[in-house]
Amino acid sequence: MKARWGVLTLAGALALTACGAQTQAPAAAVGGSGGDGGSLTWAVETQPITFNPQQWGQNKARLLVHNQFDSLIARGRNGEFLPWLATSWEVSKDGLTYTFKLRDDVTFHDGEKFDAASVKANLDQFLVPGYNAAVAAIQLRNFGRAEATGTHTLKVTLKAPDGLFLDFLSSPYAGQVSPKSLKNAKDLKAGGVDVVGTGPFILDRFTPGQEVHYRRNPNYDWPPTGSAHQGPAYLSEVTYRFLPEAAVRVGALTSGQVQVIEGVPATEIGLIKADPRLRLETSLNSGSAFSYYFNVSHAPFDDRRVRKAFRDAVDVDTVLDSVYQGTAKRAWSIIGQGSPQFYDASLENTFGGNPARANKLLDEAGWDRRDAEGFRVKDGRRLTVRTVASAPFVRDRRDILAQAVQAAVKQSSGIDFQVRLVDQGTAQKAYDDDQYEVFENSRGDTDAGAALNLILPKGAAINRTHFESAELDGLLTKASASSDTAERRELYAKVQKLVADEALILPLYVPADQVAYGAGVTGLTFEPVSGTPNSAYDIRTGT
Amino acid sequence: MSTLTLTRRRGLAVVGWLGPVARRLGSGLAVLWAAATAAYVSLLLVPGDTVDVLIGDGLDTPERRAQIIAEWGLDRSALRQYGDYLARLLHGDLGHSYILQRGVGDILASQIGPTVRLALTAALFGSVLALALALTTAGRRPWLGGLAGLSELVAVSVPPFLIGILLLAVFSFTLGWFPVSGDQGPVSLVLPAVALSLPICGVLGQVLREGLERALEEPFAVTARSRGITERRLVARHALRHALLPAVTLTGWFTGTLLGGAIIVESVFGRPGLGQVTLSAVTGKDMPVVMAVVLLSALVYVTVSTIVDLTYLAIDPRLRSSR
Repeated sequence: MKARWGVLTLAGALALTACGAQTQAPAAAVGGSGGDGGSLTWAVETQPITFNPQQWGQNKARLLVHNQFDSLIARGRNGEFLPWLATSWEVSKDGLTYTFKLRDDVTFHDGEKFDAASVKANLDQFLVPGYNAAVAAIQLRNFGRAEATGTHTLKVTLKAPDGLFLDFLSSPYAGQVSPKSLKNAKDLKAGGVDVVGTGPFILDRFTPGQEVHYRRNPNYDWPPTGSAHQGPAYLSEVTYRFLPEAAVRVGALTSGQVQVIEGVPATEIGLIKADPRLRLETSLNSGSAFSYYFNVSHAPFDDRRVRKAFRDAVDVDTVLDSVYQGTAKRAWSIIGQGSPQFYDASLENTFGGNPARANKLLDEAGWDRRDAEGFRVKDGRRLTVRTVASAPFVRDRRDILAQAVQAAVKQSSGIDFQVRLVDQGTAQKAYDDDQYEVFENSRGDTDAGAALNLILPKGAAINRTHFESAELDGLLTKASASSDTAERRELYAKVQKLVADEALILPLYVPADQVAYGAGVTGLTFEPVSGTPNSAYDIRTGT
Repeated sequence: MSTLTLTRRRGLAVVGWLGPVARRLGSGLAVLWAAATAAYVSLLLVPGDTVDVLIGDGLDTPERRAQIIAEWGLDRSALRQYGDYLARLLHGDLGHSYILQRGVGDILASQIGPTVRLALTAALFGSVLALALALTTAGRRPWLGGLAGLSELVAVSVPPFLIGILLLAVFSFTLGWFPVSGDQGPVSLVLPAVALSLPICGVLGQVLREGLERALEEPFAVTARSRGITERRLVARHALRHALLPAVTLTGWFTGTLLGGAIIVESVFGRPGLGQVTLSAVTGKDMPVVMAVVLLSALVYVTVSTIVDLTYLAIDPRLRSSR
């Protein structure tokens, strides 16, 4: 009897404290909303490797970039290009000359004037050897020269027509950095307090491993077209805390210690949806879907039948359900549904999830015997395919997903899928030595064509399938040179069909960003094309 | 006793200390030299050109290459290079991170504070708790010792990562007593330090308690009891000294646990520190930083174990004259 009372008292006390925490939390969530527009703390999953927008490479760091930096061009809801620091532009008939009119009222955080000379300095910076070799070689491969034809007029000449040039100018890479900091910054490549832009917030404190802090730029008056308001940002300050552990981020939100979290794990989505004090929003990312790319340079994936069999051996819906509990969007093509302007929906339900066909294909391909463990063998060799994943790039529980696929292909078709999670150096070595059969990748490029150019053509930077096809390369070249969206859409539909016919990939899911926030937060939006969370410019706390 | 004899006895005591101290400092330096050499050899053994390895993912220009060749003396003979490297280390020059484009010394110096604070607090928590646990449970009723042993086992076997999340869930998210993240004042230090200290407390507590229990069965304990000493006094004044020696031996392991655990705990709690630096240096192939972290760990290890060895001498006078 005594013991029972003890338990009851304890439970009562816990319930009371739980109630206490619950009643406190909303107050904390709206806290700090003074007349100055309030302050906000936002927990993010990934600490950026760099704060220099021109060195940017992590899609997860995108939400920070436009606090501090403005690009030349913005994107609209339907992917259209909108004025930002460039008010208008004209493209010559041959597609080689771009003339930009620039805003004349913009000042960098260090007091420098924004003008045609500063844009030229930013573009020329990419030509400095080693500054950003990848961008120089890919996005700017057709860049010829920039010249200031007036204080606020800039002429850019390309070496060849390039349908992706405007997309580049709307990306974080075109974040305008003060020419003074391009010259004098202590850590130009790492960015930070002395690499400054023209954005609505000023980065004033960065504690590695802990947080980055921005304060409002009181002079800001040049938001991109499509913003919900004009003038300076509402918030007087915003802090992004780096909390790599998902459970910790969610706990910090539910206890009111932070007001917004990014990267909500599938396991917590139900909990957040059930909590009336919290909101959850999801947005599909643009670019390529997360897929397994098959290395066709050697056995067993040099045989199209085996590639098809692997694709058929997995019931993707079941696998996604078990790993992401119904919160992941299934992918059907190399381009994800987050890039609606190019996604080819006709591929849906045309392949996959057919173990009977998978087994038949494997029998035909000569993998018709089984060893003691039930794996298929041919000429005394087991049907083994290996993937190496570089640990720092594993997100969205892709390691668990790989295990689920592993179980599925073993059970349904006797394929031995080996998953190795390694450091970046080891992964690179495996790629260099061609010691892998599956390559996992998704890319968040705002123009899906950029992703395809990196992955598909012969000799492309991450063509780790080693697939070569003159037809495919021709389609991609033609699409890159065109700035006619309808024509590009048609070309990319052919590309997607070809990739599917060749069974070059197993598309798994479309990466998405999930954001959860307390009821007191308003104005939180996603960038229309990339699908990643917007900067804090339009955000407010309190009512 | 005259002043003269006192002085002479003190002098003798100092002489007795001199040999062992010199020996331990000497072997400490030898370990540091070996660590520096190992780090250097690993730089040479990493596949690829040494300049490429040192640049890592950093800015790759002809000027920078020239700078690296000059800085590391890569145009000189292998022996000269090695000598230059050791000489630079002796001057406290740890080199330059070509990825972060800053001096390695600067990078470590800016991040070492939070880690040292965390590790020292955890060490303090761990030892005090272990000592308290051992003193209150040793030689008492068997079920009490059993219970303590069980909780120690749990503390040792649950990874700090999980302990951290559990502590946060209860004391930060539910009760709201501590903040989740960062290095912001003593309050934010409590939970990460506890998470880091529990495994230490578990092992240390076990060793201390067993040591105490063994000591309490020694003949001297029986003698002391026959003189009518209270059990509490017996434990605190006589048995503890015997139990302390094996516990102190564990300090080396202890240091390793703190350094390794800090990487995980810093990440769970979103704290700044060396853990983050080490992690990103390894993943970003930032060789100068990795080498410096190796040296720093060796230095900490050597310092701690030298202090431990000297503490032995203080605890057990027999060791002073034995060698």
